[in-house]
Amino acid sequence: MKTLAIIPLPIILGVLLLMSPACSKKAVQSGGDTRALQDEMARGGKGGVSQSFPDTSLSGKDDPSGLHGFDRNPSEERLGNAQSGNGTGSANGNQLMARSDSGAAARQLAEIRAEQTASVAAGLRDVFFGYDSFSLTDEGRHVLTSDAEWIKSNSQTQLKVEGHCDERGTSAYNLVLGEKRAKAVRNYLVELGVAPQHLSIVSYGKERPFCTEHTEQCYSMNRRGHLVLKVGK
Amino acid sequence: MTLRTLVLAGFCAIVGLVWIIESGAADVFLEATRPDFQKIPLAIAGIENLGGTESPEGRVKLGSRIEEVLKADVRRSLVFALVDVNGLGIKGGQLGAEPDPSFKHAVQNGVSVVVWGRAGIKNGNKDADVNMDGYVYDAGNNEVVGGKRYVGSTSVVRLMAHRFADELVFRYIGEPGIARTKIAYVSELGSARELFLMDYDGYDPRQLTADGFLNLMPRWSPDRRFLVFTTYRNRNAQDIDLLELATGKRWTLISQGGLNITPSLSPDGNFLAYSSSHEGNAELYRMDTHTKAVQRLTTNPGGDLSPSWSPSGRELAFTSDRSGGPQVFLISADGSNVRRLTFEGDYNAAPAWSPRGNWIAYVCRTPKKEYKLCLVTPDGQKRVQLTTGPGVDDSPSWSPDGRHIVFSSTADGKSHIYMINVDGKDLERITFTGTHNSAPAWSPAS
Repeated sequence: MKTLAIIPLPIILGVLLLMSPACSKKAVQSGGDTRALQDEMARGGKGGVSQSFPDTSLSGKDDPSGLHGFDRNPSEERLGNAQSGNGTGSANGNQLMARSDSGAAARQLAEIRAEQTASVAAGLRDVFFGYDSFSLTDEGRHVLTSDAEWIKSNSQTQLKVEGHCDERGTSAYNLVLGEKRAKAVRNYLVELGVAPQHLSIVSYGKERPFCTEHTEQCYSMNRRGHLVLKVGK
Repeated sequence: MTLRTLVLAGFCAIVGLVWIIESGAADVFLEATRPDFQKIPLAIAGIENLGGTESPEGRVKLGSRIEEVLKADVRRSLVFALVDVNGLGIKGGQLGAEPDPSFKHAVQNGVSVVVWGRAGIKNGNKDADVNMDGYVYDAGNNEVVGGKRYVGSTSVVRLMAHRFADELVFRYIGEPGIARTKIAYVSELGSARELFLMDYDGYDPRQLTADGFLNLMPRWSPDRRFLVFTTYRNRNAQDIDLLELATGKRWTLISQGGLNITPSLSPDGNFLAYSSSHEGNAELYRMDTHTKAVQRLTTNPGGDLSPSWSPSGRELAFTSDRSGGPQVFLISADGSNVRRLTFEGDYNAAPAWSPRGNWIAYVCRTPKKEYKLCLVTPDGQKRVQLTTGPGVDDSPSWSPDGRHIVFSSTADGKSHIYMINVDGKDLERITFTGTHNSAPAWSPAS
């Protein structure tokens, strides 16, 4: 029966995948800096690409698996928030993640409510799209004609066109589709004489549905170009 | 003795095992990543309870919990076939002693590796540490290989089992194992979508962001310290941010007009690929993370998005609708040599290149207009549909060992996160709380 013990041929395979390392040599970054670029954008700058963020590369960090093998006389390994060999930022330990909570959630919720209230009061109407489609329908053009009249007669307003999708398809591609829908709405409004500088677009893909049932009626509600009066920044 | 006789002996032993022990029978011949990979028969003879429970009000004893987690890890490793040795009277012994005579019963039943141990809080002292001792007997050499001794609070009890499972995988095939890996994902809070992190088996979810709006599609840095993802600045524009897990610090990497989506760091972390429409329509870009230089990779009136790096970092798979509906394309990392990879069906998107390089997983729309997972080889020669049935499947992400795929699906109504083997077996739902869990991203291995 002893031959049976030789079954596990894969034992011989011993290629160590040095996938990961975590032991960081880097100094603590000054950052957490989400503001610099955004402030530039807010000042009317072009924004673009940050010139300062931590090193994301693997180079120089060759801490292997963090495993130490079995030992006939095993020494004690303490597991916890700062395991040896795992680095502080590794997904290895049971480290506590810091959560960035700046009160942003409450502020955003208040602004969303304000936008909704203002948009409803203005009587702005949304347009709807077919499955997989970003073409305006005749009904959609009709709706946008009356929206355009309101916008032109309220020239102080800043309007945001949100592109939305139903839950079918991938999250990522629906962001592209949502942008195409928002652009279709914006372009038609501009064609109707709305000044482009009063219009901005944003795609929410399928991430902010108006309706969450898995029905065609609900899907058609979510394939939408949604017009919102901007509040705040 | 020739190899042929050895293989024959092994085959007979496994057939014998299947005959004698019903449970585990189906496991023995499953593929790991090679069709001819035979799993190593492993038995867990028990993790003895030394005292104490996971929580003051909990009923599950610590040793029992570790045994349960360890068994699940061993099963999911796909390296071992878990053999049930209940009723064979197998008991562990002290480390350093001769192998316990009872091990021969396990060996006679085809078991190659026996694991046993003990865990708990000694003397039932609530403030004391949890201790776990685990030992390994290898039938090949008829010897006790050695063991591990872990100490920590009750909050790391599952981690003790995960580490031990990874040590087993490391000992037997030289890979770091996946039991300590994590999955980042997006979950709904109110109408907001925030980033979360959980263990690879769905336990211990933690909230990472609290912006109150949309945070989408996280991806890991290769050293597991950071996530890159899309976030919305004041709900009106998209940024690509970097989040440091240990500190919660965030950096905005990309802040410009239009879509800025699907960021993905190269396997060496030296490049960030992403899609942006700030110059018109969605195109692929590549930023050098050291020089910050940005190179545009695509120039096309269609939308290009969802770049996924090959393990070598020399190529990317991506989604493009340049030929109508979205399809999966390949491109060299310098922007040259674009070619279409998928041709079946009118909607193929969200490619994910396997860390072993041999498959690209993606979302395929079936003739019945269902969104399911498919696999295709990078040469396009072989294509298989991996999932079936109702629900929208999305966001495939590979385990670092290339044996599993995690993805989101609405198969059970609300969007949840599921795991499946690359051979289509062992579909397992891993999230049970939350109203909308999506966009899973499996961490690199430790």
